[in-house]
Amino acid sequence: MTTTVTVYPEPHAEEEGPPRPPHGWRRLLWPGFLRAAWMAPLFFGIGTGIVVGIRWAADWHPFWFGSIIVLVGALIAAPIGFLAGIGAFDYWVRYAVGAPTTPEDHSGHGAYSWRDYFRVNTDHKVIGMQYLATTIFFFFAGGLLALLVRAELAKPGMQFFDNQTYNGLFSVHAALMIFLFVIPAFAGLANFVVPLMLGAPDMAFPRLNALSYWLLPIAGTMMLCSFIVPGGAFASGWTGYAPLSVHQPLGTIFFNMSVQWAGASSIMTALNFLVTIITMRAPGMTFWRMPLLVWANFTTSLLVVIATPFIAGSQFFVMFDRVMHTSFFEVQSGGYVLGYQHIFWFYSHPAVYIMMLPGFGIASEVISVMARKPIFGYRLMALSLLAILVLGFSVWAHHMFVSGMAPWLRVPMMITTLLIAIPTGIKVFSWLATMWEGKINFATPMLWALGFVSMFVIGGLSGIYLGAVPIDIHVSDTYFVVAHIHYVLFGGSLFTIFAGIYYWFPKMTGRMYDERLGKLHFWLTFIGFNATFFPMHLIGVQGMPRRVSDYDPIFADWNMFISIASFFLGASMIVFLYNMVKSMRFGPVAEANPWRALTLEWQVSSPPPRFNFDEIPQVVGSPYEYGVPGAKHAVLGGPREREPVAVD
Amino acid sequence: MRRGSFVQLLLFAVVAGAIGVAIAIFPNWLPPAASREAGRIHFVFWFVTGICIFIFSIVAAVLAYSIWKFRRKPDDDTDGPPIHGHTGLEIAWTAVPALLVTAIAVVSGVVLAKDDAAGADPLHVNVVAQQFEWTFYYPTYHNKMSPVLRLPVNRSVVLTMTSKDVIHSFWVPQFSQKQDVVPGIHPTLHITPDKIGTYPVICTELCGLGHALMRSQSIVMPVSAFDKWASAGTSTASGVAPPGGQEGLALFKQEGCNSCHTLTAAGATGTIGPDLDKLQADAAGAGKPLAAFVHESIADPNAYIAPGYPRNVMPQDFAHTLTSAQLTSLVQFLVSSAKKGSS
Repeated sequence: MTTTVTVYPEPHAEEEGPPRPPHGWRRLLWPGFLRAAWMAPLFFGIGTGIVVGIRWAADWHPFWFGSIIVLVGALIAAPIGFLAGIGAFDYWVRYAVGAPTTPEDHSGHGAYSWRDYFRVNTDHKVIGMQYLATTIFFFFAGGLLALLVRAELAKPGMQFFDNQTYNGLFSVHAALMIFLFVIPAFAGLANFVVPLMLGAPDMAFPRLNALSYWLLPIAGTMMLCSFIVPGGAFASGWTGYAPLSVHQPLGTIFFNMSVQWAGASSIMTALNFLVTIITMRAPGMTFWRMPLLVWANFTTSLLVVIATPFIAGSQFFVMFDRVMHTSFFEVQSGGYVLGYQHIFWFYSHPAVYIMMLPGFGIASEVISVMARKPIFGYRLMALSLLAILVLGFSVWAHHMFVSGMAPWLRVPMMITTLLIAIPTGIKVFSWLATMWEGKINFATPMLWALGFVSMFVIGGLSGIYLGAVPIDIHVSDTYFVVAHIHYVLFGGSLFTIFAGIYYWFPKMTGRMYDERLGKLHFWLTFIGFNATFFPMHLIGVQGMPRRVSDYDPIFADWNMFISIASFFLGASMIVFLYNMVKSMRFGPVAEANPWRALTLEWQVSSPPPRFNFDEIPQVVGSPYEYGVPGAKHAVLGGPREREPVAVD
Repeated sequence: MRRGSFVQLLLFAVVAGAIGVAIAIFPNWLPPAASREAGRIHFVFWFVTGICIFIFSIVAAVLAYSIWKFRRKPDDDTDGPPIHGHTGLEIAWTAVPALLVTAIAVVSGVVLAKDDAAGADPLHVNVVAQQFEWTFYYPTYHNKMSPVLRLPVNRSVVLTMTSKDVIHSFWVPQFSQKQDVVPGIHPTLHITPDKIGTYPVICTELCGLGHALMRSQSIVMPVSAFDKWASAGTSTASGVAPPGGQEGLALFKQEGCNSCHTLTAAGATGTIGPDLDKLQADAAGAGKPLAAFVHESIADPNAYIAPGYPRNVMPQDFAHTLTSAQLTSLVQFLVSSAKKGSS
């Protein structure tokens, strides 16, 4: 007699799909947008009631105090009502109140039709797609804001906006790009790929995973809504330095709270990744056999968990100064202005690596597969990620060399900052060595990965200028810094996000993207990017400060050039969007493994089965053994008697 | 590696290096140095640039060579050689960057120490920043006040800075020195101007609405000319006696009205808020008597917003921060200068 041991639930629900909502008035109680449509206003009402009730009881006038009602009702209570309405809490609430929980039949897992992408779904692959679609939306929103900024800057003097609106435009641009595009886009890619690479059926906490996605639309909507409140959007930059941010119009609390929602989302996802990576690796998947993308997300998640509470704190303090009249940053009542910057950068410098390490992971996967060679110096590549993690926490004050902080701190922080060049250099040289003597396939993902390496080197070198204190004193807060961050975050993070999207597109959608359009997109973006951002180094060193709506006419020619280039760059993204939409629907059906890669996600069908693996894969060697005859990363579906082979 | 390919690689590196050198030399990167600190900082800049061009040309050469040489043939499905690493190489590209960054750190540290040390007998200047203007005080010259920074050439200067409201940042590109001006603390900055001329003073820390326009000038003068100017008694801008009393004018400047508003009587040329030379027209627009309109516009700025200007821009708290006597003299001053301006 043979017994079949099914470790994971069989995907029998294929024909059934998720349960259908009932008809009639009961439909209003069914988790989804309909229920959210009445629960969000209800919670807004409750929040307003609490504020007005307390003010009435304490006899504080006026009872209807607008900004507090907006904060408690619209920015805290209504989002919770929305989440409850779409059903993000249903299971936990039933559990918490002692009601009988529904047995987990996995009916909420996976996509049976397009509708399943618009509900709370526990499948990491669906969540990954939700993440990517949402973040690409905010990428385009943030990009349009950048084009408005460039339109204003095309000529000296004021063209289209008043100063406050202009300050709002670049503030929201940066906040959207950082908190709602780069960080969550990497989380989305990793959400799709990491469980597959580990040989796991899903993330460790699928419901938490769903919740962390649904916090994002809330955070993004909040950022954009700040444009419609009286006084305009938050206008103190994405850094929101106190005390300026304390005294800005109401829009600032939209930033303060939006960061809380996005930050909560990041922390939940990071915890989920950590537990998944530590506990859900397939048999034989030792840490030294993990693909570097998994390593990268492991280190990133550590950074997120440790650092993110600091920005949450800094934004709460600013908000408390405003609404509760605390005085964290109010000098007149004993506040410490530089305290804000120390707390803020203690998060926001590690955040730079949160926005870069996952990209390192993607580049490692793509370059090794496309060059048909093992990654060069695998262990050192993983260790240098850990080195960046540790060093990343010891450099925050290099953003504060001219801030007026204790002068002695500058030299130690300069040394740690410059030291980061070493692990980063190791990674760059190892990618180059991986390509050396390879059989390079210049498909679109590889173009983006190589574009990333070259642009990131420029961004890294300009980082050395900024790390050296005397030069930083000259170029701090100028367009040189603007150029540097865009070489790192656009040429670095965004290029790797594109590499990842093109690389895993066949796996995610089951169809192939259009290679010609992909290459066109790359070249247009590459040229537009350099034409836009390279001249900014020059005008920055020459003396143009950042965050200004008007500037010295001697910079007029370059600014006009940059603005034209930026519109060219913006237009190149239309090619991307067209390629994605067209290929998702009409692209040729993709094979399971179009890149002939060894990592586990390519060993299952495209798109993968609902529970990823029908049988647990057995990992037997390194994920990058290209060119080694007969080498295998994992054995799927075969007999299990084979012992793990050490091929490191 | 064959000798031929090494030569080719070297050729790539030379071309990449030449491009790097051309980009470094062709445009005028740094503004002309006008202080000793700037000279030293420029040295660090070019030192780092040299190292960066060196690294850039290596990376660019390897990248370009690989793209050129290691392209896959269309029907070639084989893999590359399974090279897993090379300990010697890995040690080399850990050690060489470590040496280079150590060199940069040492050079930077030395220059920083030199720039931080004030010379003998420095001139002290107190810098006060507020939204959106600079004021410079000379404590050794009866606390003489000036809206532009006048400095003697070749003398060490210590600027002690503070802010009345939010964070600003003092920068003169030609001096290469920059310092955030922070409320509650008094950081210092050392400058030794060594070239006579007029240079912009720029605020480089986002300080609100008028940030882009928060500018002044730094004038480096011959020592004798500076002494003559500095000892010429306390000056209140132009010699014209201000209408409406000295106190109103002083308040107008002290509260920073001049940074946002134009008013001929105060020599103010701000453009963020309405032109106060045209107060009578605005009062007519609001349908109020002039004095009452001016009073209301200071105490409750949102009560009437001149067409084309946004709300919530002017500080809302003058009714609390000014005494009623101060408010009255400010109103008197504005009313009388508005009447004068129109007559």
